[in-house]
Amino acid sequence: MNQPVAITGLGCLCGAGMNLAECMESMFRGVRKPRPPFRFSTDHPVSYPVLELRDEFKLPLDDQEKVYARTSQLALAAALEALADAGWDEASLRGKKVGVCIGTTVGCALNCDDFYRAYKEGDDPEMDVIERFLRSNPASVIARQLKLDGPNQTVVNACSSGTDAIGLGASWIHSGACDIVIAGGADELSRVTYAGFSSLMITDTEPCKPFDVNRKGLNLGEGAGIMVLESDAIRGDRKAWGFVRGYGSACDAYHLTAPRPDGAGLKQAMGEAFAAAGLTPEQIAFVNAHGTGTPDNDKVESGVLAEMLPGVPFLSTKGYTGHTLGAAGGIEAVFTVESLRRGKLPANIGYADADPEIKGTPVTENTEIDGEYALSESLAFGGNNAVLILGKGDD
Amino acid sequence: MEIKEKLKQVLIEDLNLEDVTPDEIGNDEPLFGEGLGLDSLDAVELVVVVQKHFGVEIKDMDEGRPALQSINTLAAFIEEKSNG
Amino acid sequence: MRMAIQSIGISGGFGQGVDSLQRALVAGEVEPQTGEVERNGTVDSFPCYRAAIDGLDEFFPKRALRRIDHYSKMTLYGASLALKEAGLLEADRSRMGVIIATGYGALKTTFDFLDSYLDFGYSCSSPTHFSNSVHNAAAAHVSMQFKATAPSLTVTQFEMSVASALLTARHWLAEGRVDQVLFGATDEYCDVLRYCRKRFFCDGEQGPMAPFNFERQSAVVGEGAAFFILTRDEQQASYGYIDAVTLGNHVASPLELPADDFVIAGADGHRDCGQWYAETIGSLPASAYSPLYGSFPAAAGFDLAVAALTLKEGCYFTVPDNAGSTTTPEEAPAKISCLKFGPGGDYGLIRLSR
Repeated sequence: MNQPVAITGLGCLCGAGMNLAECMESMFRGVRKPRPPFRFSTDHPVSYPVLELRDEFKLPLDDQEKVYARTSQLALAAALEALADAGWDEASLRGKKVGVCIGTTVGCALNCDDFYRAYKEGDDPEMDVIERFLRSNPASVIARQLKLDGPNQTVVNACSSGTDAIGLGASWIHSGACDIVIAGGADELSRVTYAGFSSLMITDTEPCKPFDVNRKGLNLGEGAGIMVLESDAIRGDRKAWGFVRGYGSACDAYHLTAPRPDGAGLKQAMGEAFAAAGLTPEQIAFVNAHGTGTPDNDKVESGVLAEMLPGVPFLSTKGYTGHTLGAAGGIEAVFTVESLRRGKLPANIGYADADPEIKGTPVTENTEIDGEYALSESLAFGGNNAVLILGKGDD
Repeated sequence: MEIKEKLKQVLIEDLNLEDVTPDEIGNDEPLFGEGLGLDSLDAVELVVVVQKHFGVEIKDMDEGRPALQSINTLAAFIEEKSNG
Repeated sequence: MRMAIQSIGISGGFGQGVDSLQRALVAGEVEPQTGEVERNGTVDSFPCYRAAIDGLDEFFPKRALRRIDHYSKMTLYGASLALKEAGLLEADRSRMGVIIATGYGALKTTFDFLDSYLDFGYSCSSPTHFSNSVHNAAAAHVSMQFKATAPSLTVTQFEMSVASALLTARHWLAEGRVDQVLFGATDEYCDVLRYCRKRFFCDGEQGPMAPFNFERQSAVVGEGAAFFILTRDEQQASYGYIDAVTLGNHVASPLELPADDFVIAGADGHRDCGQWYAETIGSLPASAYSPLYGSFPAAAGFDLAVAALTLKEGCYFTVPDNAGSTTTPEEAPAKISCLKFGPGGDYGLIRLSR
C-alpha cells in the first residue's frame, strides 16, 4: 500500500469555465455550450460541435501566442492557478525539488498544417511556427517559466495521458525524487484532431450523450487540469484539498483504436489502483468515468463499472468539457477532488434514455455525496487504461 | 473498369493487403472478421477509399454497415449512389 | 535500486543489431548515407544516418505489419531484437512494462495525415494515418504484437526524452509494478525535418560531425531505435547496471559531474548545446559517439547502448573523428556517466556501472 500524496492546489480551464470555480458553477447549473469551431475552419461538409474556451486568457508573458503553442499556454494557465491555490510562487519554489509531469497529445505533435501546405506548394515557409513548437513542450514550459530544477516529463499516452501524469507524478513524491510535483494534462483543440476524429466517425453532430442509448460519438474540447502534489515534509500543517491514494494502469494489447470488449485492461488497472490505495470498491463514493459518448467506449466502460463497482454512482463530465484528449484525465481528476471536497456531484449532462446494453444509470441530477474516496479513469488509443483513486482532503 | 474490379484493386492498395490478389477476393466474401479479416479501423478507412476513388459519401456507420459487408454490397451501394 | 541491463536491440545508420554497433565502435567511424530531397525541380543532397528495418520480416508476417509505418516498424524491430537477445520472444510478457522515449514521434505519418486532407479535402482525412500519427502508436504496436499487458508509457521531452522516460522505468521496477521494462528510444527522419534543419543550420548539416568542437554547428541528421530489457534481477545484468538517473537544469542549479566517471557526452554537433558540455565536462575523461549514428533526440538511447557495451567489453572505444575528446584513460572504466543537454541547459544524467 502507498502513502497518500497530498494535493494542495487545483487549477482548471476548459469549455466549462475559465477557472475551477467557474467550471464547477456552470456544471452545477447544468450549462454547456458546444458550438461549431471558431478558431479554425475546414471544408468538411458536416460541422461537429466542440467545446472551445469561452474567453481569451492572459498569461504573464509578452506576446504569449508567439512564444508558446496554445497547449502550453493552457498548461501554464492551469499550473499558475494551481500553484496560487497552493500558496506557491516562483520565489518560494526556488531551491526545492519540483518536478513537472504533464499529459498531452496535440501539444507534442508537429501539426503545423499551414506551414506544411506552404512547404508542399514549393514555398519556403518561415520557421517561426517550428521554433515555437520546439519551445513548447508542455512540461518544459512550466519548468522554464518557473525556473524549476527537477525532472520534467511530458506523457503522450493519448487520451489517458493526464491520468497517467498524475499517477506518475505521485510516485516521484513517494520515491523522494521530488518535494513537489506539478501534474496534470493539457490539450488545445486543433483542426488536425478535428479532422482525425471526424475520419474515425466517432464525433457526434449534436451535443454528446454519454451512456445514452442514442449516443453517436464525442465532442472535442480543449483545456488543462493541473494539481500540485506535495510530500508531507514540505506540506507541514498546510491544508490538503485531497489526496492521491492509488494509481494503476494497464494496456489492452488488443487494437490501435478500439477498446478491448471484455475490458480486461481497465479491470487490471483498477485492481492495481485499489491495491496501491489499500482500499476496496465498497469504499468508493463515485466514479468520474471516461464516458466519451462513443458507442464502444461507453459500452465497454459501463460493463466494467457494473462488474467491478456495482451500484457505485458514476458520471461523465465530458458533456460540459468535451473530450479534451490528453487534458481529460487532468481536468477530471481535478473535478473529482473538488466534488469530494464539496460533497456534491453535477449531473451527467446529455443522458436521457437508457441503453439496454448499458448496465446502470449515470448520475442524472446534481447529487449530494458523502464519502471519502472516488475514482477517475481514462481509456485511450493504443489500449491504455489508467485509473486514479482520490481521497477527500482535510476538513 | 467494372466497379467490383476497381474496388478490389483499391482495397488491396489502400489497405496494404499485400498478401492477397484481386482474384482471391470473392464477391460475396465477408470483408470483416473471418472473411478478408478487416477490422473497425479498416471500416472507416474504407469510407475514405470510397469517397476518394468513387466520389461517393458514406455519411455514418448506420449507412456504412450494410454497405460494407462484401464487394457485392459495396458495389451495389456505389452504383445506387452514383446513379441517384 | 539499480536496473540491470539484460539485453539490447538496436538499429541505426551503422546497421542492425548490437554486433553492428560494436563493429562501428571498433572501426571508429561510419560513413553517412546520402539523402536526397527533390523540391521545385532541384535535388538537395545531404549526409544522413538512416536506419534499415529489413530484418523485421523475421519476426512478423506481412499481414501483421500492413498498417504499421516506418516509425513504428523501427520501434518494433528494436524491441524484437532486444527480446530475442534476452531469449524472451516466447516468454510470458504480462509483467513486462513498455516505455518508449521519442523526441518527435511519428513525423512522417503526421505529415501523411495532413497530406490526406490537404490533397483530397477534409472528408478524405485518413483515419489510419491519424491513429498512427499519435506519439504512442509505436508503443501500442509493441504492446499489441508482443501481448504486453502491463503498463505502457510514451514520453516526449525532446533531448530529455530518454533520461525522463528512464526515470519512470526505474520507478516502475522499484515499486514492483512490473518485473521488466522493454525500454526503447526512437526517432525518425522525414523530408520536412530536412527542410527545417537546413533552414536552421544551413551548411552546419553537411558534416563531418565534430561533437567536441563546441563552437561549430556540425550535426548530421540521423534516426533509429535503441531498445533495452531492464530488470530488477541482478543476475540478468549482461551489460551492467543503471545506477541513477538525474534530471535538472544547469542554469537553475549548476551540475557537477561525478569526478570518477568516464563521460559519454550526448554532444552531437549542435552549437547551442555546446557551452553546457564545455562547462560541465571540463577536464574529465570523455568521449562522444554521435558520429556513428547522427543527431536526433532519441540518440541519447544510442549513447546508453554504447555505455552498456563499453561496460560489457571492459574496454574503451575510441572514435578518431572525436577531435577534442579530452583524454583516453588507459584502464577500462568501471563507471560511466551518459550526459545529454538540451539547448536551455536542461540535462539528463544517467550513471552506469559494471
